[in-house]
Amino acid sequence: MRMNRKITWMLLIGAAINFTQCKDAGDKVTPHDENELITSVTLKFAEEGTSNVSSFGFKDADGDGGNAPTKFDTIALKPNKTYTLTIELLDESRTPVENITNEVAKESDEHLLIYTPSPTSLLTYTYGDKDVNNYVIGLTGKAVTGAAADGKLKVQLRHQPGVKNGKPEPGSDDVSLDFILKIQ
Amino acid sequence: MNRILFSFLISLIVLKAAAQKNDCGCFVKGVVRDRHTGQPVVGATILIAGQNTGVFTDEKGRYEMRNLCPGSYTLECRIVGYHSFQQKLDLTAGHEENFNLQEQEVHLKDVEITAHRTETPSSQPLTTLTGIDLEKTRGQNLGESLKGLAGVTTLQTGSSISKPVIHGLHSNRILIMNNGVRQEGQQWGSEHAPEIDPFIATRISVVKGAAGVRYGSDAIGGVILVEPEELPFDKPISGETNAVGFSNGSQGVLSGTVQGGISGFEGFGWRAQGTIKRGGNIRTPNYFLDNTGISEKNFSLAAGYRHKGFGIDVFYSRFATKIGIFSGSHIGSITDLLNVIKNGEPLIKSGFSYEIARPNQNVTHDLLKAETHYHFQNGNRLQWTIARQINDRNEYDLHRPRNDSLAALNHPELTFKLTTLTNDVVWDHKPIAGKIAGQIGVSTFYQYNLMDGRPLIPNFNQFNIGVFWMERYVKNGWELEAGVRYDYRTLKTYRIVNREKVADSFNFSNFSGTLGATRNFSERFSAKLNVGTAWRAPNVSELFSDGVHHGAAAYEKGDATLQAEKAVNSIASLKYADARWSVELGGYYNYISDFIYLKPQSEPILTIRGAFPYFKYTQTDATFKGIDLSATWELAKHTTIASKLSYLRVYDQQNESSLVMIPPNRLDNQLKYELPEIGKWNHAFVSIGNLFVARQTRVPLASDFLEPPKSYSLWNLQAGATLKISEKQQFEIGIGVQNLFNIAYRDYLNRFRYYADEMGRNASLRLKWKFGA
Repeated sequence: MRMNRKITWMLLIGAAINFTQCKDAGDKVTPHDENELITSVTLKFAEEGTSNVSSFGFKDADGDGGNAPTKFDTIALKPNKTYTLTIELLDESRTPVENITNEVAKESDEHLLIYTPSPTSLLTYTYGDKDVNNYVIGLTGKAVTGAAADGKLKVQLRHQPGVKNGKPEPGSDDVSLDFILKIQ
Repeated sequence: MNRILFSFLISLIVLKAAAQKNDCGCFVKGVVRDRHTGQPVVGATILIAGQNTGVFTDEKGRYEMRNLCPGSYTLECRIVGYHSFQQKLDLTAGHEENFNLQEQEVHLKDVEITAHRTETPSSQPLTTLTGIDLEKTRGQNLGESLKGLAGVTTLQTGSSISKPVIHGLHSNRILIMNNGVRQEGQQWGSEHAPEIDPFIATRISVVKGAAGVRYGSDAIGGVILVEPEELPFDKPISGETNAVGFSNGSQGVLSGTVQGGISGFEGFGWRAQGTIKRGGNIRTPNYFLDNTGISEKNFSLAAGYRHKGFGIDVFYSRFATKIGIFSGSHIGSITDLLNVIKNGEPLIKSGFSYEIARPNQNVTHDLLKAETHYHFQNGNRLQWTIARQINDRNEYDLHRPRNDSLAALNHPELTFKLTTLTNDVVWDHKPIAGKIAGQIGVSTFYQYNLMDGRPLIPNFNQFNIGVFWMERYVKNGWELEAGVRYDYRTLKTYRIVNREKVADSFNFSNFSGTLGATRNFSERFSAKLNVGTAWRAPNVSELFSDGVHHGAAAYEKGDATLQAEKAVNSIASLKYADARWSVELGGYYNYISDFIYLKPQSEPILTIRGAFPYFKYTQTDATFKGIDLSATWELAKHTTIASKLSYLRVYDQQNESSLVMIPPNRLDNQLKYELPEIGKWNHAFVSIGNLFVARQTRVPLASDFLEPPKSYSLWNLQAGATLKISEKQQFEIGIGVQNLFNIAYRDYLNRFRYYADEMGRNASLRLKWKFGA
């Protein structure tokens, strides 16, 4: 009998320890943001010798997944023209909106923008900026269009911390978008 | 839920043997007692291996076997509720002088036998790694250590993270019992290796097949039992030091153990153990893998007290590791992945370095356990175990935040803190008529997870209660067992959706059962059959994942409506052993209903980093069928061949296709030559082995970026010896070379197979010094 009572006590204490230590994970939920989120990419084509600026963009305000991207423009350019191409990268999931373009500019020795038309005859891109190590960046540059035709323009932001060597291979993509490109 | 599985020296059996002078007039007699109560064990079977004679212990635990001819015998003792054990007896050599004493009891040897309590169904195959076989794996992580067992493979992330796979199942589908406590880390992640230092254990066992009744949820594929040695109660101080060096990664491992009793404090035992590991970049045959270093510092402390039938043990262990993740494995977009696949080798090149930079994982796991038990005079036994574990996992991404002030803080991008409290009470009833033994238990666990950083899985609270009852009946070469269990689980998750806190509740409940039979046809031949069920509730990542998996270049989405998985596993095995042959053949058929897997969706998902293949967690019914064969043949004196074959076929019944990430079939052969004793050197051996791993041909169509890697064949060399310095000291040395011919190969179950080859040649040197006892 005495033993039984001892055991009962043991069990009660065991159960008590288990429950008193319970914490509620719900109290600790805090909203967090992805460090490197980019929600929108805008390409600004300024036609040389005019004041015409055409903007084309991609926007996925809530980042990967969730709601589908709300904007993915077709780039329409005139044939045989020279454009100054600048790019704007934003994180619109934050308030205030964070301008990633500035951060890329600040860490230009870790970033590389690549513009790849296909077919290649659609457009010729020439870099207009360089980082401290004399490697190109691509925040600004020149795009010369070819004859009227349809194709694609791949825009990549390569993140190359510590490994940037002027080539596209090192690092990984932070942006990789295939815009439809129409020269007409 | 936690277990009592740790190697409990529960029974001390003293065998006394004596002999008469005339031929075939020797006899063996003795008493079988329970160590704690000192009570005799009634109805234990004592057999002589190879002969069909056996006796039972009487009401005083005594037995006697007469009319034995002089020679070597193996005595086998079977007690219900304990594993059977064997003891070699020599009734001639060295003891002849005693044979002159007619009819007089001669104390030849006190034979101390550690009987391991069988908590696992004895009709399920149990493979144990212990002694020399375990020594050969020293310095490796838990997953790697178990790789040599038939039916066990590993799921790897690079070369430093490996998770055990049993019969094709891994992660949340197998359970690891660390010193009697269910290991609770973030097991859902394929890159989350078990946080256990194998140096803690002197036995690592694998229970193959569903074992849900005794172990509760998750034991679908099997259970791994990591068991330390029984504490050295009232023994003098002893210990060991292990030093292991590996050529690949210039890795060094140092581990030490000191243990003993305390003189003047009867019934007390203690142990302190620690391990340090440090390694640098791993080399494949053609290049180094950048940032693949490892650093590990672990220790454990244990103390226990025994008095009459009462015992208490307290155990604390800390596992702390920092592992570099191969930097070439960070994938931004599909283009990145296709480029590295096209290149055939990593784009990032490196030399040797011990530095561990981003990306890396820092993980600590603390376990505090207390276990107490009482043996009642009448043979009943009560055991109570409580444990708390805290798993603190920090993952650092390749890229720091772009924002300088945030980057300067160098915070991990992901942290998980999982706290688990387990509580188990098990009642073993006294054997009924010496034939039926069983146990009833209640297990609870409470768990909460706090996560910080990049949103990945929600925070959650989880509570589980399980009640089980198992009985075993032993008679005339038959062992029958049956058990049932009921589990109830509640899960509450908290996450942020559109800056609002959202809570979700889930309830799961399940009945599990086990039914098994073992038949010992003769001393050489036995057969086992077990049908067991197990279940697993979907984990939070399966319920709520929503994002790109950067290691796999896939967009993974969870499903909050998933049901629990249920497995019905039938497993049969045959065992034959004689002087020259030992064969174990096992076959299994595991039917898992509502098997959770990632199903490819027809439309890719568009993100700013391009389109990613889209996978959704979905349920199907799957079958896992396979054969494990292991055989040892003594070719000639001192020379043995050991072969192990693992064959597995997996089928998705609903979609009539294969499933991804299933280990390919493999065949392992070892030729071993044991050298005779030379002076103080003994247990010397040399062996050469080959592992052949076939190509996985059964994969769903168009499910992967790269088809499964080609088959490969690796050779290895091993040698070892023990030097007996004195009665109390010995020295062991072992050398080995893995991947002898430096073959470049890739393994289907390595998540880095897209990026890089496996480890090249790796030579190792193991030194062990044992002192005391």
